[in-house]
Amino acid sequence: MSVSFQLVHAKPNRITTIALSWMLFAAGIGLYFYAAQKRHQENPEDRIMPTVSQMFHGMTNATTNPAEDDEALPENASLRQRLFASMLWKDTVATSRRFIYSILLLIPAVLLGLHMGLFPYVGVFFLRFILFFDKIVALSLLPILFIVFGIDELSKIMLIVIGVTPTIMLDTFNLTKGVPNEQIVKAFTLGASDFDVAYRVVMRQIMPRVLNSIRLNLKAVMLFLFAGEMIASTDGLAYRIALLRRHMGMDVIIPYVLWVALLLFLVDFAMRFANRKLHPWFQEA
Amino acid sequence: MALIEIQNLSVAYGKPSRPILTNIDLSIREGEFVCVLGQTGCGKSTLLKMILGAEMPTRGRILIDGVQHNQPDRTRGYVPQKYSLFPDKTVLDNIAFGPEVSEFNMFTRFTPRYFRRRRDIRDEAMRYISRIGLHQRDAKKYPHQLSGGMQQRVAIAQALMTCPRILLMDEAFSALDPGTRKDMQRLIRQLWRDTGFTVLFVTHNTQEALHLGSRVIVLAKESDEAGAQVAMDMSVPEPCHEQQIPVLVHHLERASGSARAPEPVFATA
Repeated sequence: MSVSFQLVHAKPNRITTIALSWMLFAAGIGLYFYAAQKRHQENPEDRIMPTVSQMFHGMTNATTNPAEDDEALPENASLRQRLFASMLWKDTVATSRRFIYSILLLIPAVLLGLHMGLFPYVGVFFLRFILFFDKIVALSLLPILFIVFGIDELSKIMLIVIGVTPTIMLDTFNLTKGVPNEQIVKAFTLGASDFDVAYRVVMRQIMPRVLNSIRLNLKAVMLFLFAGEMIASTDGLAYRIALLRRHMGMDVIIPYVLWVALLLFLVDFAMRFANRKLHPWFQEA
Repeated sequence: MALIEIQNLSVAYGKPSRPILTNIDLSIREGEFVCVLGQTGCGKSTLLKMILGAEMPTRGRILIDGVQHNQPDRTRGYVPQKYSLFPDKTVLDNIAFGPEVSEFNMFTRFTPRYFRRRRDIRDEAMRYISRIGLHQRDAKKYPHQLSGGMQQRVAIAQALMTCPRILLMDEAFSALDPGTRKDMQRLIRQLWRDTGFTVLFVTHNTQEALHLGSRVIVLAKESDEAGAQVAMDMSVPEPCHEQQIPVLVHHLERASGSARAPEPVFATA
């Protein structure tokens, strides 16, 4: 009797699915701590691969103490006060603020893409330029941005805008072009004006796909944000990671990296959830 | 005077230009139910798009009630084969869309008058929903939750809400199964009789054309390089006797395949 092992038609059961899907996490964590232990046996002062207790200690420090000594809190400060004055909180707020500004600046980009796709004059005016602009490596503009806008917030936000908005514009443009012509003709035969067609027919239809496109570009937003923060900043998560590298502060760097990943995951999850709730009619193709 | 006047219409596409339609002259009176019949690729949909104003002819012109239109508007309602409903709107919103956008612009949509009028529009939309044979509870459904036949029913109601004088239908029932198709044919005939609008119905199905139309126009090409011309233009006797239909089908299909090798015609009873 030959028992054939199915590949394409395999149906893993629930337990197997759970076990297999967490296996790489377990292996990664296990391997790390095994290696960390090995290194600590050889050199108890090792800073490259901190143990759990070192990272816990590092993070307790980061969540209860301010970054700068001159901001030190009185001894009797409450936990709440300590939390909101802490290094992690201030870095997170600084990075989030820049992130939110950048996301808000994507709204005009979406609107421009929509108008480019729908109104031929707007399209021919912008398309060629944006196709070119899209190919400029945004990071190569960073020195220019620092010279023109100074090294404060504006240059970092401009870097994200320059890096991400062309992609979003072109994507919205393509999505707009992808709306079946029947829909537009139908709207006109029902007495809709050009702007009714733009905002009540086309924009509403492409919105879920635009949100998905923004979700895909969240990583690019973070990439440019981190590049800006690492090179010129005095606060922010990436600034801290870059700063701690000089002190080999892996006990804080590793939790910071995981914290950033968690935050980004939550933003993405919230957007996916909102997308489903706002557009119950949307059928993922 | 004719409602739709097509004068010496020619259309060519592409480079080098390939003629689609050549020298079409037609006049359609108010209240006619015209079926445009022809083989796939003979340009019948192109003719409809020209009347719709979605595309411009290479030569000639089309007058609607004596006026030339250069983009689609309220005078001509439209029911395509696919993508006729707005996927992001419920059945009720789809049907109410026409009156809402044509009576109010972006600014007057925030006045109390709009909210009063909207209630009337919604009531009328609900009446249409039952008239086209849908349940009241279907009003809150999205198009993707409806079957193909239901979707086309809603599309017809949506087009009729703005009371267009002309209704242009492009293979509107071609994707439906035979049973649903019969129902839809009955529905559109009924609505046409009740309301008296003019219909231009594009189809490749000869039986359908004969069942529906008060007049059948056949478009056919002389050769593959030539554009299509009107090969036959006949009015369908009313009432059209069932036993006459096979003969007429034979007749029409000969006309639509005029230049090609004569295809065997199966007269279906």
